[in-house]
Amino acid sequence: MDMLSETLLVTLLVIWVLCCVLILFERRIYRNIIYFGIFSLIASLCYLLLGAPDVAMAEAGISVFATIFFIVCIEKSYSRQGGAVREKSESMRRGRWIIKIAVPLVFSAGLFALFVRFMPDIPVNTYLKDQFLARFMTDVGGYNAVTAILLGYRVYDTLFEALILVVSVVAVAHMSWAEELSVPDGRHSEIENSNMAVFTMRIICPIILIFGAYLILNGHVAAGGGFLGGVAISTFFICRYYIYGIYDMPVKKVMRMEELVFIYFTLMAVLFVTLIGANIYLPSDFAEVYQHLYLIIMNTLIGLKVACGFFIIFYRYVTVERIEGELPAEEGGSQA
Amino acid sequence: MIGALDIFAVALFFISFFGLITSRNIIKTIIFILTMQTSVIMFWLFIGSRTGTIPPIIDVGDIAYMYNLPAYADPLPQALMLTTIIIGICVVAINIIMLNTLFRKYKTTEWSNMAKLARKDHIEKY
Repeated sequence: MDMLSETLLVTLLVIWVLCCVLILFERRIYRNIIYFGIFSLIASLCYLLLGAPDVAMAEAGISVFATIFFIVCIEKSYSRQGGAVREKSESMRRGRWIIKIAVPLVFSAGLFALFVRFMPDIPVNTYLKDQFLARFMTDVGGYNAVTAILLGYRVYDTLFEALILVVSVVAVAHMSWAEELSVPDGRHSEIENSNMAVFTMRIICPIILIFGAYLILNGHVAAGGGFLGGVAISTFFICRYYIYGIYDMPVKKVMRMEELVFIYFTLMAVLFVTLIGANIYLPSDFAEVYQHLYLIIMNTLIGLKVACGFFIIFYRYVTVERIEGELPAEEGGSQA
Repeated sequence: MIGALDIFAVALFFISFFGLITSRNIIKTIIFILTMQTSVIMFWLFIGSRTGTIPPIIDVGDIAYMYNLPAYADPLPQALMLTTIIIGICVVAINIIMLNTLFRKYKTTEWSNMAKLARKDHIEKY
């Protein structure tokens, strides 16, 4: 790492920590969310400087989703009551700040000091890294070592991660207040969109879709892969919702499709582990073809899975969670 | 030099921890869960890039890369952190849906107000 990028990295890290301190001292929630966006962007740049382009792209895509979730969550509680309502919590009584501020401060500072004092300073063991980098082309195939580890050496990790996404979608669909899964098709949302933004999005939308497909299909030879492509494709559906402002997506069918894709994904992984990279039982002249085929199919399945998952979570938020007045209002809660 | 940068990630972890236990608003608490996760990811990537920072993507037809292995970044932490990011956003999605359900019932997003109302609810019910 040369001098210039090292200086850049240290500068970015200082701004990164300052952003978190800003979140700590700011009490207005909209500003907190904007600071969190800046925080994620700087973290993504740092990942890129540290030689991890896949993680950087994933962080950038995920920060978009986190911002959208937060804004959908708070716009009901803050903006619909007419402007930014500042909630008043009880003022601190005398001596209460010792328990609420000073004890946590001393506790976390002490933990930090302990960690810095006793952090082991042993040299890094690079045995696994050398083995993976030297052998992944013949074992799994492709030219991207991260994709080779995700889909070859540690495919069970990816399997359970996809399972957690399924569990999260089910939890989001069943833990909210509404009984039904989706609203009737063809209902218009009350979103106020500006012409300029819609015009820009109409141009950008197809490019995002093509970019997502490119990331999925090129995941084994360049930076990218199923996760990032899936996130990009679900961003396309968010843009589509913003342009037309209508709920006409079959959410139940997409949920069923996600479960089917998960089953295919599991079968494919088990098949791969049984055949161990397709270079034992299959003729070795075509080993590279089989390997690339396997990597492309797995990346496509993961991309479909992630796209369906985020699509369902987003539509659930913007359709069901934003509609009001269908439950009887709880009167006891409003006298805070 | 890269080893000395770990202190930023560790410091950010404990700043987020402090914010997690002292913030009064629930949305702020969820934001601090995300920043804590980001600091952990940064720590792992620091460890993975101590020897070299070239991305572990090999050029097509590059045979001489075998002699230059220490200059590449470690691909194993990157693959693990890629799954961690997706799991983190799943956790945040579930947190926000729980907060929405609670907000619909109690009409507040402050910890202390919500605890008071929930206690009153409990006493009325039993």
